[in-house]
Amino acid sequence: MAIVLFIFIAIQFYQPALNVDKGQVYTTDFTQFYKMPVQIKAMFQTSCYDCHSNNTKYVWYDYVQPARALVENHIKNAKEDLNFNEWGTYSNRKQERLLNSIKEQIETKQMPLSSYTLMHTDAKLNDEQIKTLTDWLKEQE
Amino acid sequence: MKNIFFSIIALATVAAITVSCNQSSNKNSDQQANDSTTISGTQNLPSSTQNDTDSTMASIDTTAKKIEQQEVKEVAQNFSIAPIVKDYLALKNALVSDNDKAAANAGKQLYTTLKNVDMKAIPANKHKQYMEIAEDAQENAEHIGDNAGKIAHQREHLASLSKDVSDLIALFGTTQKLYQDYCPMYNDGKGAVWISEAKAIKNPYYGSQMLTCGSVKKEF
Repeated sequence: MAIVLFIFIAIQFYQPALNVDKGQVYTTDFTQFYKMPVQIKAMFQTSCYDCHSNNTKYVWYDYVQPARALVENHIKNAKEDLNFNEWGTYSNRKQERLLNSIKEQIETKQMPLSSYTLMHTDAKLNDEQIKTLTDWLKEQE
Repeated sequence: MKNIFFSIIALATVAAITVSCNQSSNKNSDQQANDSTTISGTQNLPSSTQNDTDSTMASIDTTAKKIEQQEVKEVAQNFSIAPIVKDYLALKNALVSDNDKAAANAGKQLYTTLKNVDMKAIPANKHKQYMEIAEDAQENAEHIGDNAGKIAHQREHLASLSKDVSDLIALFGTTQKLYQDYCPMYNDGKGAVWISEAKAIKNPYYGSQMLTCGSVKKEF
């Protein structure tokens, strides 16, 4: 018991850098790049931006290890695949591929991840929202 | 209970010590950095004496560059996308036969091939275009490699990858006879192309469901 507690406390000292940008505005952002209705913009920001942008809205248990390390690693991988803040810097080829991927991932309910929406219930998309988003995405292709 | 209490206190002290030690060592290294900048500042003073040696160095540099450029030109003619096409065809054929595991392996193979391409061998005027296409192709290959068991997802990436490979062929040419085929149904009727080594249609987007659906659009 003591050992477990010791380890638990010990790992708390490992705190990797937070994924926060302190309110920076990106001219290359996805929501700047396309004209989109306000509610669509809000859906992307609520359901996707926690992992796919430079600014995560953390909740208290994200600061507690080992969740902290898992979350940070997850965000790093997510941003490598797609960072909405950097959309404008992507080549046309990449944008086209990603638009299609985003549409497919949302349509088949693979994104947002169920492990994420389990705790972030506001990020969960209902069927109506999914249709709004995918219809909009199809128009952009 | 006492044990736990002690271990927490012990740990807290250890942590406090390590943190404070780190900070002080940081300060030291900062100071050292400052010192070294002042030294290098004084070293730069007698610049007039250095000018002569600079100019001779520069002429040596330019001759070295010329030789390098010649080498690049020679190698450039040898650059071929054949290994990329070969891996792509293996991947495409795996999806024709609905084999997600073979597709994943072929995807990984293609990823490695793309990663090991000698960038110096690519002609300078096509460098930028190649980079853009290859980066995209690499990501597609990686996703196909990671998604054994999700053949629909692999096929989505094949659509994008096929476009990449098609553009690579247009850019660099091919010695092998190749065909660009077209499936009008895929992706909600938006259509998708694929590259094939044979004239007969074997559709990789639907496999055995609709094997002969599609048409030859272009010959390379």
